[in-house]
Amino acid sequence: MRAFWEAGKAWTLPVAGVCLVLGALLGVQVHTQQLRGATEVGRRSSALVGLLTNSQGQLELQAKEIAQLRAQVGKFESEAMSDKGVTKRVYEELQTSRVALGLLPVKGPGVELELGDSTMRRDNAEVGGQDIYLIHDFDLREVANELWAAGAEAVSLENQRLVAGSAIRCSGPLIQVNNTTIPSPFVFRAIGNKDNLISALNMREGVLDRLRWAKFQVKLTPKDVVAIPAISIAPKFKYAKPVTEETP
Amino acid sequence: MILLPVAALVMGFLLVYRFSIPSAWADYAAIAILAGFDALIGAVRARMEGQFDEAVFLSGFFVNMALAILLAYIGDKLGVDLYLAVVVALGIRIFTNLGRIRGLFVRSRMEAHRARHATPSR
Repeated sequence: MRAFWEAGKAWTLPVAGVCLVLGALLGVQVHTQQLRGATEVGRRSSALVGLLTNSQGQLELQAKEIAQLRAQVGKFESEAMSDKGVTKRVYEELQTSRVALGLLPVKGPGVELELGDSTMRRDNAEVGGQDIYLIHDFDLREVANELWAAGAEAVSLENQRLVAGSAIRCSGPLIQVNNTTIPSPFVFRAIGNKDNLISALNMREGVLDRLRWAKFQVKLTPKDVVAIPAISIAPKFKYAKPVTEETP
Repeated sequence: MILLPVAALVMGFLLVYRFSIPSAWADYAAIAILAGFDALIGAVRARMEGQFDEAVFLSGFFVNMALAILLAYIGDKLGVDLYLAVVVALGIRIFTNLGRIRGLFVRSRMEAHRARHATPSR
């Protein structure tokens, strides 16, 4: 069989030359394919990261701008207030509406309620699915509802002011308030009559009763001063128009 | 020597491995590689059958490569996956030639074996 591979002059050189070309083609092709695979994944994730950081930066900038504009408005109003009389009454009216809308940070006596996931999960993980030992959006909604019902004047959840139109909802594994994701444990702050708030929350077979029974970590403390922040983005009214005498 | 072509193949690979081509060309390069392999294996078979011809081999290598690329390109322009036809045709040819090479190889070994044991020394 050696005869096939003997160094025939007419055989080896052209084949070697062709092999060189073929090897080069192979090399460039393999390298290109590797690069293509690497860059496609890299490109996609880096684009997403860029998008995210961009929008986060924008959000921060806009929040700063909102704070600035509010301070400006406050300055104009305090200047206008020095005119006394009607303007002062208008200003007072405006402040009350702002508090109701959640546009001003407020403080006063109230309660603080911290809700953590159940400790039962750690004790016997075999019983039921994991998610029955977690705080859910509906638990938080129930607590918020109870607070309003007990006469709370301002409520916040994880430093998100709850206003008319604040949605507490579940988005995948996380909970969102005012379209902001909030982490566990969840802290409610409410301003109002301390005793009323506490007894409403501790009502028999009420929200906390149920949560305590399932060994959720519930910490309810009355406070002399509770600070509640303003809502970061004021609600816009695009469809709702006020009804006045003139409008039919 | 079989070592020279193999060394050339490896050397070509290593020399060019750091470069890359636009990804639009990558499909054509793959077709060209397939055509090149077809020509190479065809040459080995021809050599074993004692019919190797340098001019036929070299012209076959480059012209087949160019034709394969051209066919794939035309397919691209027409919206027909003609490169699949190239891949199938070349694949079948490579397999047929490899089968023929294996047959020739086995037969030659058997002949050598028989020749050794048929010597009158025993």
